[in-house]
Amino acid sequence: MKTSLLAISALAVMVSPIAVSHAAEELTFLRFFGGCSDQYANVTDMDQAVGECGVIQVLTNKFNAENDQDITINTQNVEWGVYYDLLSTQIASGQQPAIAVMHRSVLPNFVARDLIEPLDDIFVEAGIDTSDFLPAALESVSYDGQIWGLPWDIHALLYHVNGAIMEEAGLTDAEGNYILPTSTEELFEHARIVQERTGKRYLSIGSRNDAMTARVFNLLMWQQGSGIFNEDLSGVQIDSEEGRVALEFMKRLYDEGVALPIHDGSEATQAFINGEAAVFVSGTWQVDTMAAHSASESSPLANYQVFDFPQVVGDTRATWSDSHMWVLPAKERSPEEMAATVAFLSFLNDNSGQWARTGHLPVRQSVLESEAFAALPYRTSYAETTGIAQAVPMVQNQRPIQDIIRDGLSAVWLGDTAVDAALSDVQSQVERNFRRVR
Amino acid sequence: MEKRAIRPFSGDTVTLVLMIALAAMWILPTIWVISLSLRPNMDLMRSTAGLLPIPFTLQNYIDIVSVSMTPRWLLNSAIVAIGTTVITLIVASLAGYAFARIAFPFKRTLFVFILCGLMIPEQTIIIPLHAMITDWGMHNTHAALIAPRVAMPVGVFLMTQFFRAIPLELEEAARLDNASRLTVFRRIMLPLSIPALTTLGIYTFLQAWNDFFWPLVSATNSNMYTVTVGLSSLQGNFAQTEGLGFIMASAVFASLPVVIVYVIFQKYIVRGIAMTTGK
Repeated sequence: MKTSLLAISALAVMVSPIAVSHAAEELTFLRFFGGCSDQYANVTDMDQAVGECGVIQVLTNKFNAENDQDITINTQNVEWGVYYDLLSTQIASGQQPAIAVMHRSVLPNFVARDLIEPLDDIFVEAGIDTSDFLPAALESVSYDGQIWGLPWDIHALLYHVNGAIMEEAGLTDAEGNYILPTSTEELFEHARIVQERTGKRYLSIGSRNDAMTARVFNLLMWQQGSGIFNEDLSGVQIDSEEGRVALEFMKRLYDEGVALPIHDGSEATQAFINGEAAVFVSGTWQVDTMAAHSASESSPLANYQVFDFPQVVGDTRATWSDSHMWVLPAKERSPEEMAATVAFLSFLNDNSGQWARTGHLPVRQSVLESEAFAALPYRTSYAETTGIAQAVPMVQNQRPIQDIIRDGLSAVWLGDTAVDAALSDVQSQVERNFRRVR
Repeated sequence: MEKRAIRPFSGDTVTLVLMIALAAMWILPTIWVISLSLRPNMDLMRSTAGLLPIPFTLQNYIDIVSVSMTPRWLLNSAIVAIGTTVITLIVASLAGYAFARIAFPFKRTLFVFILCGLMIPEQTIIIPLHAMITDWGMHNTHAALIAPRVAMPVGVFLMTQFFRAIPLELEEAARLDNASRLTVFRRIMLPLSIPALTTLGIYTFLQAWNDFFWPLVSATNSNMYTVTVGLSSLQGNFAQTEGLGFIMASAVFASLPVVIVYVIFQKYIVRGIAMTTGK
């Protein structure tokens, strides 16, 4: 109710030209994505923006330069490893920013503690069309029946491929595109062929102290129509038949030398770029980087290709995803401040198609179907990912839970923990964590 | 002083060889960091192996110094580190002297209470501290960055222990000559405590210069960032993979003033450490 009144009063101020034209508003915009304000000082031409930092910085410049309501957005950029500590501290001490970026996976923690504002009424009044959001995007910002953020992107796991290695192995179609495996056995057969015909490893994946372990486990559970939590999120089902299939599959990758267990994220990236492995399991965020490496003639990463994540276990197509969104930290806002905040949110929504240039998936149907998006390199080859992307369920402490899964499962290939023991251990740890917050 | 020749295979030679090996082990990571900082980021995505910066680039350093705020961040770090060091030395030496030499009620309890501060992790007090500084309207000031660091229990403990070790006779002789307590402290105790003050000063300066979390949460205006916070704010989301050279250059750049301070004060630092260990 409080938010509705705020929204209505904000909009009342927005439509009142006299009130708004005299109100100079400065808003703090807290985000990660890097700092490049000098590099893009006064740049408002979106064509000049490169990468995550470039796109969001130039969008901010553009809004500052072009809005006619005397609104100034002051960016506070923070390295993302400490981002949520800083945001929590700022909110706890009443120093919260006007707008902040947030991952879907931490949203429940902030909602449960009343630290951010619901946006349903604000969207209605501001004319932000939620029906244009892709279902996965709308779902990613929804919790307890309300909308808590403006969706900004979906980032999902993809299958990055060294086309030259696959061609040498004879695993490509007439057009030179890798023919993806459709089952566990086919994947291991591809791995054997690649090893025999090229001497290269099939897979490069972050396997040591890397979140990729938990992401892939989630993905494999979903491909079997299951998940780490049951459907009504009342219980944990890691120590289950589906969990066993998923972990046995991952263990086999290392046992048969398909992937290296000691690789962390950076080493896995290096191995793929150096042409040591044919496939790299990583996210949408790597597409442009890999394309840039592949563009060099001398690069061992030749004929780079990228695909939707193949279905390798079970009978459900699925890949892991998370998403970025913009949220309004809870605080008292004057009507002028709310009007300015809504104006910037609307601007971001209108321009969210620009963000798709970073490699992330768009959140709006109209952007996904646009010619501009189709013209971006490689995007059509993983267009189905928006339909198969599944995000981790909206439960409290999702990030610590993912850390437990990462550490517990990787003990199987980094130590001598048995599959059953690992599943049982992770199950009990996650249950303990889960019980604490319920 | 008589110089001793080092004979082959003597105990000295073995010691020397061991010391060289240990020094090499110690310095290799530093050389590696410097080398990585002089290589292109794209190249480092392929490989981080090798101690030679080939291919060579200064681009990572150019990226740092071309940020218009970098001089400001360095100045903020210098103000905060020097301010913290000076105030800590004053507070710790006065408190240490009082605990070591002056009898007052609840002295022992108060000393234990201060030592308890050693056991409290920073993270547990960060929110009340942040709220307190918010209430006082002090965020985004140098005072807010310095004040919480001045309450340093380890400094009080170090100075107390040092003053306790100074023979009482020295102080009593001065008191017989009608010197006041403050005069004794200023003329006798402080000059004698230079080794301890040097050690504490170095420790405090390094802590304040390298501090990250408190400046991160207190300084929200980029004009008030210290160099550690400012350089980290430039990192992109995947910097450890895609911007390793820049991270290493940031580390080297942020360490340079400390290295320069060490080179200038090396003689005093070594003497200070040697004196505190009684050698």
